[in-house]
Amino acid sequence: MMNKNRKHLGHLALALTLALGLAACSSSSTSSTAVASSTDATINIGSLYEPQNLDNTGGGGQGVTEALNGNVYEGLFSLADSGKVENLLATDTKISADGLTYTFTIRDNVKFHSGKALTSADVKYSIEKVTAEKSQSARKSSFAMIKSIATPDDKTVVVTLSSKSISFVYNLSYIWVINSSAADITATEDGTGPYALTDWKRGSTLTLTRFDGYWGTPAKNKVVVFHYFTDATALNNALLTNAVDVVTSEQSPDALAQFKNASYKINNGQSTTKLLLVFNDRVKPFNNSLVRKAITSAIDNKKLLASIWGEYGTLIGSMVPPTDPWYEDLTKVNPYDLTLAKKELTEAGYPNGFTFSLDTPNYDPHPAAAAFIKSELAKVGITVNVNIITADQWYNNVYKKLDYTATMQEHVNDRDVVWYGNPDFYWGYKNAQVTSLINQAEQSDTVQAQADLLKQANQIIVAEAASDWLYLYPQIVVASSSLSGYPVNGLNSQFFAFNITKK
Amino acid sequence: MSSKSPPIVNYIVRRLIFLVFSLFLASISLFVLLRILPGDPANALLSVGATPEQIAAAQHKVGSDLPLLQQFGKWIGQLLSFQMGDSLISNAPVGREILSRLSVTVPLTLTAFAIAVALAIPFGFIAAYKAKTWYGSILNSVSQLGMAVPVFWVGVILVFVFALRLRVLPAGGFPPGGWGDLAGAIRALSLPVITIVLVMSASLIRYVRSATLDVLNSDYLRTSRALGSSFMEAMWRHGLRNAASPVISILGIELATTFVGAVVVESVFALPGLGSFLVRGISQHDYPVVQGVLFISTLAVLTIGFLADLIQRFIDPRLSRSLTGQIS
Amino acid sequence: MTQQTRRYPLPLLVGLVLISIIFIMAVLSIFWLPYQLGDTSGSRLGAPSLHHWFGTDKLGRDLLSRIMIGARIAFEVGLLSVAIGAFLGVLLGLGAGFAQRWMDESFSALLDILIAFPTLLLAMLIVATRGASLTSAIVAIGLGMSAIIARLTRLLVKRVLTQDYITASRASGTSWPRVIVVHILPNIWPTLIVIFALQFGLAGLTEASLSYLGLGSPPPNASWGSLLQEAQATVLTAPIAAIVPGLLLIALVIGMNMIADGLREVADPTMRRSR
Repeated sequence: MMNKNRKHLGHLALALTLALGLAACSSSSTSSTAVASSTDATINIGSLYEPQNLDNTGGGGQGVTEALNGNVYEGLFSLADSGKVENLLATDTKISADGLTYTFTIRDNVKFHSGKALTSADVKYSIEKVTAEKSQSARKSSFAMIKSIATPDDKTVVVTLSSKSISFVYNLSYIWVINSSAADITATEDGTGPYALTDWKRGSTLTLTRFDGYWGTPAKNKVVVFHYFTDATALNNALLTNAVDVVTSEQSPDALAQFKNASYKINNGQSTTKLLLVFNDRVKPFNNSLVRKAITSAIDNKKLLASIWGEYGTLIGSMVPPTDPWYEDLTKVNPYDLTLAKKELTEAGYPNGFTFSLDTPNYDPHPAAAAFIKSELAKVGITVNVNIITADQWYNNVYKKLDYTATMQEHVNDRDVVWYGNPDFYWGYKNAQVTSLINQAEQSDTVQAQADLLKQANQIIVAEAASDWLYLYPQIVVASSSLSGYPVNGLNSQFFAFNITKK
Repeated sequence: MSSKSPPIVNYIVRRLIFLVFSLFLASISLFVLLRILPGDPANALLSVGATPEQIAAAQHKVGSDLPLLQQFGKWIGQLLSFQMGDSLISNAPVGREILSRLSVTVPLTLTAFAIAVALAIPFGFIAAYKAKTWYGSILNSVSQLGMAVPVFWVGVILVFVFALRLRVLPAGGFPPGGWGDLAGAIRALSLPVITIVLVMSASLIRYVRSATLDVLNSDYLRTSRALGSSFMEAMWRHGLRNAASPVISILGIELATTFVGAVVVESVFALPGLGSFLVRGISQHDYPVVQGVLFISTLAVLTIGFLADLIQRFIDPRLSRSLTGQIS
Repeated sequence: MTQQTRRYPLPLLVGLVLISIIFIMAVLSIFWLPYQLGDTSGSRLGAPSLHHWFGTDKLGRDLLSRIMIGARIAFEVGLLSVAIGAFLGVLLGLGAGFAQRWMDESFSALLDILIAFPTLLLAMLIVATRGASLTSAIVAIGLGMSAIIARLTRLLVKRVLTQDYITASRASGTSWPRVIVVHILPNIWPTLIVIFALQFGLAGLTEASLSYLGLGSPPPNASWGSLLQEAQATVLTAPIAAIVPGLLLIALVIGMNMIADGLREVADPTMRRSR
């Protein structure tokens, strides 16, 4: 019986080896082997941000913008990688003299993926979807000033505002134009973009295929597959083994060392994600701006950034990232200076420091940053109790109930300094002058005027250290060197795939 | 219970009733435990900048504003009609998603289990029969080692060696075409299967070895041989049946353990299986998903246990006589 | 068999050595660490050096210190979960051991179900309800363990109850509680201790899996499972962090297994090896 066992074992081992060998030798469909022509390539994109569902007004999350914006759905305008707003489905815009009426001319000969032609009714439907009561869109509040939308004919949309809004056209680049007769877009799509969604395996892949009826220049590749991972290491491994060609946003700086060779290109682009130390400006001791300034001056942001991102990332002195038109370098307003910090503390009435609790989300990089802040503030006599909480608890206790003293959070959007004009926002910063400046800015007639007003507001916000803006995340896109035409700036999580080519 | 129906039928019926009852108990516990959770699934739908109206709308959509009893009633109703509700976050029907995930987890679990058993039987036997030799001891030590290793660690090491360094197998993921891309799917599951096999076969070897040793030292074997049967005959007639019984009872549990190993391994290899579905559902407080997956797992575990028990009663000569319902 | 006498010191000794190393690290970590938990002064992903014997992690924290804390957590998990499992399990097992007929049947069937339900899934369920934390993990593992211990205790108690000295003791008027304390417990204790030792190691493994999945104690916790999860990202450039915690986990389990084997030989060398 023993010999028989061993023989069976041997057979089994042989069979296993053969099977493995066969499988390994068979066509590896994921590597970039020869394709019919270079415009018919399949691009494999790796990402950590899988959409929750496909409707960006239904809480689809960051992933839905990444996969579908510009690729499957288009807006009246598009936000290019350079940050410029360009005409897309709108060919002409007329603004009335009082700035309250916008007349858009819709492009001709545009078809949805289902075959229906684009009309102004679809545009009206799409805008109303975002402003609807049930809408979970993050952009909903920026369209609060829309009074009515009219469609005098198939090619014209007239939007009437209740107050002027200089950012209106810019904000419109976020609204998808959806087929008004589309049924349920949480699991299907009907857009006008260069790709149609052909398959979605939740937890695994999302596949886009070039749409032949597209009105504009066809995409430079035939199929785009988004591969989703929950773990940065698995994502990097996929890039290393060529299972994907590009990673949309590298979150693990230490892993970059393995890509520093000729087969890969590491791109350091612009992002709009900021890490904040958020004070509850309503409660002691943070209702005193001197205390906030002191803390800002006691933390060495440069060292923090280096310890988390190494050579990448940018220091910012305010909520405004360099890509916003009203950016100016305000890092010197509350510089890193321990003597200054101690002086401000004493002036504020806390010569011996104080203790406070810091509610810290439990995911990277917050705990590490919190630990760093704790050790820095100890040097000026301030004791920090780091309280690790889940994302959920953050939403409930910090964001909804406002039950916190200080917390940490990353804020992803661009142009969000305007939230400081809302005294009810969770950080509770109340300054009537800032609020008024921000409202005026929105009502300006030119972009220049808007920028000037917002700069003024920002200067006050920084002078009072409403929050501590620790650093700006880098936008690192790592790609195989055979790839080109991919976006390198992470402006609001978009990832346009239609220009990507593979050698 | 009429005395005319054979005890075996009685037994099966009783066990089945018990099975259904346990399932029901499990559902209640699942539901209750999950609702005690202090989190709100609506949060996963929101983003910073959400207005209070948006928050309320999310809660309404998700149903977390309904009274508890009503939520439970809905859940039981769904179960009875073989549905599991929709995911709170994605609106996709949970049942359908589970089925598609099963198409990854089930082949992974069953293949790994089959290979592990196929390896454990001969090796376990050798380890017992040749326990006093050097290679028997080595087998024993290796299996001890295998049982002590965390399964995810094995996965990480295998990925490092075979995927990153040698580049012969993928580091993770499952082909977009699913099982339609057969070669791709087999390649994707190879390292995960090997990972689980390495750990599971170690513990199975231990069991087989121990059961075999018991039999080898047993009286009836010695008696049988003394009465003239050859070793082979004795083993076959007495040894195997007796050795098989404890092994089979453990096989049920080991299959469940293999499933758990698959859950962890799916995380290492980024496989779209039941495990990753569960982990994500937990972190997002997506109750229908967590309930659905755990319910299916409980169902699987209980059914396997039920079947293993039945098989055992048939095989084990000592137990088959006690099918009047008394526990041995 | 002549080999038996030479065999029991050796595994027990090896096991004790392995466990002692980990134990010393754990106890030491309470009083002294080479570097404090929040100390990020080292270079990122530094190689082993005189200052940092195992190098540093991606934030500049000393790996040796984190590993020592991990040892402490491993012991915490092992001891506390075994405590919970032993307390509940022995209690339930005693009860079940005395139960007769249908109560006994239900008990044993219930136990079988609980045992069959994998501990990791049970832990995930508890984490889903109470949030991820070390306490949730310990409670879950303890509960799962109690079922196994209860089943074994029940078997042992039943076996002891059939012995003559029990009948004799009862006949001479000893109350049941006294019988339990004086006769039953001392007889089942040796076998139970062996199981406790085995479960200690398994508890460590389960906690490591939970931490690896992100469902264990949240960061900056330094459980070995979390260390391994973090080290994955840099396994090519800094392999030590991915190897040492794994080796230590193995050492913990094997050490406890060997101690269990040794205890088994020492406590009851005549008993048949069953498992």
